Amino acid sequence: MRMIYLLFIGVTYFSFAQNKQLLYGFSDIPQALLVNPGGKVTNDWYAGIPFLSHLHVNAGTSGPTVYDLFAKDGLDFNMKLETAIYSMNSSDFFSANEQLELLSGGFAFGNSYEKTKYLSFGLYQELDFIAYFPKDYAILAFEGNQNNINRVFRASDFNASAELISVLHVGYNEKVNTNFTFGVRGKIYSSLVNINATKNRGYFVTQNGINNFYDHIFNLDLEVKTAGLASLTNNGSNTDSTIKTLKKRVLFGPNLGLGFDVGFTYQLTKQWSLDASLLDVGFIQQSKDVENYKLKGNYVFEGVNPLFPETGTGQTAEDYWNNIKGEFKDLFQVDTTNTKYITWRPVKFNASLNYSFGKKKVKECNCLKTESDYQNRVGMQLYAIKRPKQPQLALTAYYYRSLFKGMQVKAAYTIDSYSFSNLGLGVSANVGNINFYVMADNFLQYQNIYNAQSVSLQLGFNYIFKKNEN
Amino acid sequence: MFKKTVTYVIINLVLIVAFMSCTKAVDFNQVNDFKITPVFESSLVYLNEPASRFLVKGNEINIVKDSVNIDFFNNQFNADHLVKAEFLFETTNSINRAFQVQVDMFDTNNQLQHAFTFTTDASPSNSDVKNEHIEVFEGNALTALLNSSKFVFTLYILPGVPIDNTTVGSIILRSKAAFYLSIENTL
Repeated sequence: MRMIYLLFIGVTYFSFAQNKQLLYGFSDIPQALLVNPGGKVTNDWYAGIPFLSHLHVNAGTSGPTVYDLFAKDGLDFNMKLETAIYSMNSSDFFSANEQLELLSGGFAFGNSYEKTKYLSFGLYQELDFIAYFPKDYAILAFEGNQNNINRVFRASDFNASAELISVLHVGYNEKVNTNFTFGVRGKIYSSLVNINATKNRGYFVTQNGINNFYDHIFNLDLEVKTAGLASLTNNGSNTDSTIKTLKKRVLFGPNLGLGFDVGFTYQLTKQWSLDASLLDVGFIQQSKDVENYKLKGNYVFEGVNPLFPETGTGQTAEDYWNNIKGEFKDLFQVDTTNTKYITWRPVKFNASLNYSFGKKKVKECNCLKTESDYQNRVGMQLYAIKRPKQPQLALTAYYYRSLFKGMQVKAAYTIDSYSFSNLGLGVSANVGNINFYVMADNFLQYQNIYNAQSVSLQLGFNYIFKKNEN
Repeated sequence: MFKKTVTYVIINLVLIVAFMSCTKAVDFNQVNDFKITPVFESSLVYLNEPASRFLVKGNEINIVKDSVNIDFFNNQFNADHLVKAEFLFETTNSINRAFQVQVDMFDTNNQLQHAFTFTTDASPSNSDVKNEHIEVFEGNALTALLNSSKFVFTLYILPGVPIDNTTVGSIILRSKAAFYLSIENTL
């Protein structure tokens, strides 16, 4: 009970998503290449300040907020809980994403006249978590089955996954001509911990029976797969040893995977451009330190017939009852296996259509006008991520402006699963060769942070070198 | 330069957060009020037998008795959360004899904790005669139920027209239990 509770509060409070609508297309920031490897490059080389170059956390829930449940409004907590439970359905989710870049860098190369190729690389750690609201389990726990005769409680409502990984990556970006830039990024995933319970099947239903009032039908096929967890939860392990073990796994941990990102930018006209990217097309082979828990069984219970048991002859009611107990024991018997499994990374898709306008006034020369000379840009962005039950989508409209030398801002309005009122703001500033950026989401909800459906923050420091400063 | 930038940024961040992010009063202690009260129902015992089942070598037997050990009630979860239980017994009799069912509940030391009986009327016309009995477990009876691990069922055939090969009809027993739980915050 206590666990369910903590989990419920935990996911409501610390939930994250991973749309980076502010960073996408923000080519002044080197990390924009992580959301589109085929994006525009505006520096000659850069080095991320270790551990500070990119931090991303994004909190959200498609269901009720912390404030909905815990507002000090004098209302009965259980009434609010009830409202929360009934307002959500099984496709509502709590999802979490956090990324921390440990190292990163990049440099342009090619012929000395014009370096059109760019190599970027780095190592980052990522935490990804999603849990769907287990509606049918919640209703069963909340109401019981008395008022739910014939209601099918679906076991698949329990759907959650969590992974802690590190990603070592190298990306290649090439400006083929003035109109077309493309890029690819290869990734080696090292899985620190994986928990996967996304393939649950079956149901429980109470129906009117023939021999007795009810037939209770159990048809259960549940499995929680884990990799990298068993050795951490062994007896004798403590927080210190766990952190030590996890640190060791950051580079080439026990379970490895491969993946890639691709992307491009296409300049349609001087002012219009189109770009898109596909990220994290990849898998991780979970083969070591695997421990899976499986519960599978079918049983129909209609009560017992102690006086005239219908089982084999010579069997007492006691034997008969033991049989039934055996059936229940088998039904709820959790088997532990070490079967390897493969997890697929959540594939992400980004695309945007952009329009630049408002030329900069350059006194000396007007000969080499390129897109970057426009001070303003507006556009529409589409974001999609593959999730266990169904993809999640977000649509963003944005305005970007180069304020003055070395300072750019981007404001975005986003519609997504969380809300229809997401305003975000991002700033990138260069002081000398130091680049700093900070982006935050859902400004409207900062009036009451507890009522925020999602909140995201990204920030980082880079050392950037540009030959041709505008 | 770097240090200066960082300082500048941190000061600004603090200011941004201070000005932008507000909270309205929340009270996480409301968790302590957490309480759910689900009601679960389960089939219990049943039987469906023709009159001939009460004949052994042509002679009527008037008692059928057996016991089952059930450790379902006798556990910590029920002790903590079960606030009331209701057993419903429904009999449908078309035999021209009355029946009585007796249920005796014993603890692990074979001490009688609770007992109850209910009767079924005879059906002279062999049409279905329905009887219902509800046994409510609250207070002391609930404690008795929670202590019980052995249930002895005895079916008495009450005096009347003797059963023989020509006796028609059947006796049907169906039963279910409703468990009223109250699960409160134990944080």
